[in-house]
Amino acid sequence: MSDKGSGAASVLVKTLREVPAFTKGVGLTLGFVALGSGVELIPPILVQRVIDNVDTFSKGVLYQWGGLALAGVILSALASRAGRTRLAVAAAHGLHDIRVMTFGRLHQRSILHTQEQRRGALVARVTADIDAIQRFFDWGGVGLLVGLARVLFTMTLMFLLSWKLAALVGATTALYVFLLIKFQKVLGRAHDRARGSVANAMAIAGEAVSGVPTIRAHGAEKHILGRLSKALEREFWSDFKARVMGNALFATAELYSGSITAGVVVVGVLLGIQDAFTAGELVAFMLLVALLVDPLQTMVETIDSMQSAAAGLRRIFKVLDADIEVSDPGESGTPLPAGGFGVAATGVSFAYGDGPDVLSDIDVAVGAGQRIAVVGETGSGKTTFSKLVVRLMEPKAGQISLAGIPIDRIPFKSLRSRVTFVPQEGFLMDGTVLTNVQFGKPAATRDEVRKAFDDLGLGAWLDGLSDGLDSEVGERGAKLSAGERQLVALTRAWIVNPDLLVLDEATSAVDPALELQLRDALNRLLEGRTSLTVAHRLSTAQAADAVLVFDQGQLVERGTHVELVAAGGIYTKMFEDWMAGTTSSA
Amino acid sequence: MDVAGSSRRTRQPLINTIAPERSSGRFSVGMPTHFLSSGDTIDVMPAQPTFRSVLGKGFRLIGRFIRLQPWSFGLAVAGAMLFAASILAAARVIGWVIDEVIFPTLDGGAEPAPLLKTAVLLVFAVAGVKAVGIMGRRVGAGWMQLRNAQGLRFRVVNHILRMDMDWYSKRPVGDMLSVVSADVAFTTQLLAPLPFSIASLILLIGSSGQVLAIDPLLGTIVAVFLASVVALQLRASWVVFQMFTELQRTRGQVAAIAYESFDGALTVKALGREAEETARMDERSGCMRDQQARLVQVGESYRSAVRAVPSIAAVVIITVGALQVLSDVLTLGDVVSVAYLLSLLFWPIQLVGFVIFSFAASTAGWDRVAGILDGEAYVAHGEDVSSGEGGAASIEVSDVSFSYVDDEPVLTDLNLEVPPGRVVAIVGPTASGKTTLAVLLARLWDPRSGVIRLDKRDLVGMAEGVLPDEMAYASQDTYLFDDTVKGNITLGLDIPDADVTTAIELANAGELVASLPDGIETRIGERAYALSGGQRQRIALARALVRRPRLLILDDATSAVDPSVETAILRGLRSAELPSTVVIIAYRSSSISLSDEVFYIDGGNVVARGTHEELLATQPGYATLLTAYESAGEGA
Repeated sequence: MSDKGSGAASVLVKTLREVPAFTKGVGLTLGFVALGSGVELIPPILVQRVIDNVDTFSKGVLYQWGGLALAGVILSALASRAGRTRLAVAAAHGLHDIRVMTFGRLHQRSILHTQEQRRGALVARVTADIDAIQRFFDWGGVGLLVGLARVLFTMTLMFLLSWKLAALVGATTALYVFLLIKFQKVLGRAHDRARGSVANAMAIAGEAVSGVPTIRAHGAEKHILGRLSKALEREFWSDFKARVMGNALFATAELYSGSITAGVVVVGVLLGIQDAFTAGELVAFMLLVALLVDPLQTMVETIDSMQSAAAGLRRIFKVLDADIEVSDPGESGTPLPAGGFGVAATGVSFAYGDGPDVLSDIDVAVGAGQRIAVVGETGSGKTTFSKLVVRLMEPKAGQISLAGIPIDRIPFKSLRSRVTFVPQEGFLMDGTVLTNVQFGKPAATRDEVRKAFDDLGLGAWLDGLSDGLDSEVGERGAKLSAGERQLVALTRAWIVNPDLLVLDEATSAVDPALELQLRDALNRLLEGRTSLTVAHRLSTAQAADAVLVFDQGQLVERGTHVELVAAGGIYTKMFEDWMAGTTSSA
Repeated sequence: MDVAGSSRRTRQPLINTIAPERSSGRFSVGMPTHFLSSGDTIDVMPAQPTFRSVLGKGFRLIGRFIRLQPWSFGLAVAGAMLFAASILAAARVIGWVIDEVIFPTLDGGAEPAPLLKTAVLLVFAVAGVKAVGIMGRRVGAGWMQLRNAQGLRFRVVNHILRMDMDWYSKRPVGDMLSVVSADVAFTTQLLAPLPFSIASLILLIGSSGQVLAIDPLLGTIVAVFLASVVALQLRASWVVFQMFTELQRTRGQVAAIAYESFDGALTVKALGREAEETARMDERSGCMRDQQARLVQVGESYRSAVRAVPSIAAVVIITVGALQVLSDVLTLGDVVSVAYLLSLLFWPIQLVGFVIFSFAASTAGWDRVAGILDGEAYVAHGEDVSSGEGGAASIEVSDVSFSYVDDEPVLTDLNLEVPPGRVVAIVGPTASGKTTLAVLLARLWDPRSGVIRLDKRDLVGMAEGVLPDEMAYASQDTYLFDDTVKGNITLGLDIPDADVTTAIELANAGELVASLPDGIETRIGERAYALSGGQRQRIALARALVRRPRLLILDDATSAVDPSVETAILRGLRSAELPSTVVIIAYRSSSISLSDEVFYIDGGNVVARGTHEELLATQPGYATLLTAYESAGEGA
């Protein structure tokens, strides 16, 4: 985490610049905020008027002044309400815009599926990070701005009363603010440490809660609770220390206010003796000094939430500022022609980030209508290859083309409706079987969905569910078994009616008998279309038109099953293992 | 088979999620896939809280926390009193300075010198006392809040660890996590402003009294204004509370969309549904934005009124006070001192209602915390502390029936026994109850009826800790902690490195661990070195093996490992002559053929038992299940 205290202001400024909703109508808002300062400033003015003229005032004049001041306070309060509301509403709009922008950008980018282990952290970009900014606005952001306006007007009023005394107050305040800013860095670091230890304790608590089956099976309760207890103790102390520091800083504002008040009394009285000053002016001045303390204390209070917000924003901008790895050529691209098409890869290499190549220099051409099996050990690059073929990722070098068109020139609209990829996970959303299949094709009717299951020979399975198509699948499809989730995912892909179907271990959790049945159904349905199947089970390869064998990122062998078994290479060895595994030892 | 999909369940960020409505329905047959998922709706808020119920609950909650941390609360209140007193004193001092120093010198031309010194000293003294009061109040309140939060977090996690699987499986993990982080924070949040609010209340009463002492008329005016502030605050708290609750619910829905959508990112992308997903988020987030905006509009109206009251009071006081001065009832110093007092009340006055406002969030949070702490489904442990003798253990499963949900039996009257030292395989089609049998053997769940015995001892009767000492269970989905390789394998047991290394070798993870930057000391887990599924499984296998269990249960524990590696692991296990009885659940014939005996399970019961060869010969269903590839291969 780059929760550096420095630069909080610059990232906030950048946010205001890049998200127009924050600053929409800001001129009017600031006008209201400025007028709103009257709520606090009017009483001291009245005090000065009254004190200095009480001897000459008649009751009528006094009522006039009182009435005027009352009207002023009420109008200012209304302005203050308008200003603060407008600020907070603008913030709500801005935060919504950031959330949706970030969410959309994350989906456009590839990190969600290329760095799966970071998904949990990425969810925080559109939840926790934005909540932190919200907290900043709720707990001081608005107050800070309003406070600044108040300081400005208070100081102006002071200058009007006596520039000498105002200069004294101004200089002292500047010195104090300077010290605050100096110390704020130290405090910021303490808050950083506290945030780190809080995050750590929460992560450990998270493990304890989500790892319950593992903890119980190994009788590791004491160990885990011991870890948690230690982390919570660390969290307590780092958080407490940061708070004590903040409290001390907060309390010094009172000492500052006390010294200024004392200074104003002494200097004011001495100046007053030289007839530069009336008693009323001096008293009004003392009342104004009290108004300077709150904004300064708010500033101290806001340091923590401002830094949390800035840290969140910095992480969000890291998402927004990065290029989209795989971009849509849109209208300017070339859509896929009608009918079946082939796939070609020339000199394709791929690496995750700056890591080593996981695929290097792949050259292969698949004709239209061919059924291809892709095999290899875990980590051989076969899944990476299949993702490149459907352009879920962009090769580091080389090119993939479909129907002779470079894949990065095909508009997403055309590509995603003609090419479908089925990953191993069988991911389902909370909803029914029907809504999950319709996710592939929103326009599909109930009958179409039913037919898709029947096409794949899954009608009987569907009928076995408690509510058929309307059966709830639960969050992430948890109410179905892993194999059943894969059946729904496969149907969801099939209903798209693709011309190129890429299956990445899409039936790995289905039992062997059912898997074969599915394969036969697909073979029948995909007649004349191109398919690419990544498989652990070599039975798939036996039935394919051609087999591609990957090993350590290289395409090492290709040919039909029969050719490859005879070739005596890696595939021969794999097949022997496989046969040894499936054949009964009888 | 899938035990909960925990490997895909990336760590939930600790946000404030309130679970959206979920319907309960069919659980998968035989698969405890709902280990970590939701089944039932969990009440987020008690039905229709009333102002009175929230208030009552809030005070009880405060009482509970005070009893737990009485000393820090005492310090905070003492500090707050000091603070309140210093504000009242400050007003008196200012009044005195005006009457005795400023007017005499500026209007009367007196010599300022002697009293000026006193004035300065008084102003400083008051500021000093105020600063000390602030420190005492805030440090005390901070200690009280943080200590209570710390204790509560530990209690919640500890309680979750003591509940049985039926209880656990009905609560979404993300939801429990949000209780541990967000709801505990909400619950204890009312403790921070509590002392200040107490001080503010004292201050309001004190200031009314002080002004009353100066002048009854002004005192009455001040009392009326301050009372109206408290009334406004209470009203605002309640109105905002209801809107706030609604907002929190939407916040939970927004988080749920983000989770689900990011979790399925690959599917979303593969099907080209990015724009639709973004629109889905836009709709919910937009709803949240509008709720937030409404909340602000209503809240600000009250807050602006509350902020304006002291100023309005000051204007009235000064005007009325000046009239009193004209009729020589009061001095100007008196009037100004009252006005000054009101200016000092600007901030405290806003905090009176703050605790009441926090009541709302805190009691809502506490309801959710209590929802966990009130759980009574403790894992039952018996008294039997006897440990099994010598090497491998025997298993006896008698008439065991089990269902996750009533009326949907998964196992019915299942019987099997395994003599010590045997390697047995449990084989059956998808959803036949294999994994359920495994989790019953590992006592993650208990049978609804029937008994499971390890060496003649009923699992349910064993004392806490006895079974994990003798049994190890590895499942398809592995859970790794954010710890070193070694820490993940030992899980706190004191095991020499050499034994850890042996277990790693046996799990065929020697090369893998050697390739890690710090060997067995390398940190793994989500926040450090990320391992692939097969690599994780091998670490989890080593975790099971290092315990030298008398009973080893492998539930598809090598499914993500390449077939040749899997065979090597299983061969290694056999030749290592571990003093174990081994139960393997697998599809691959290579694994099954290494077993002494196979139990063929279908429809929740043992259909047949025998050696792999015997079953192939006598059970057509078994043969079809396992030789599907072979026959297909021949046909191709």
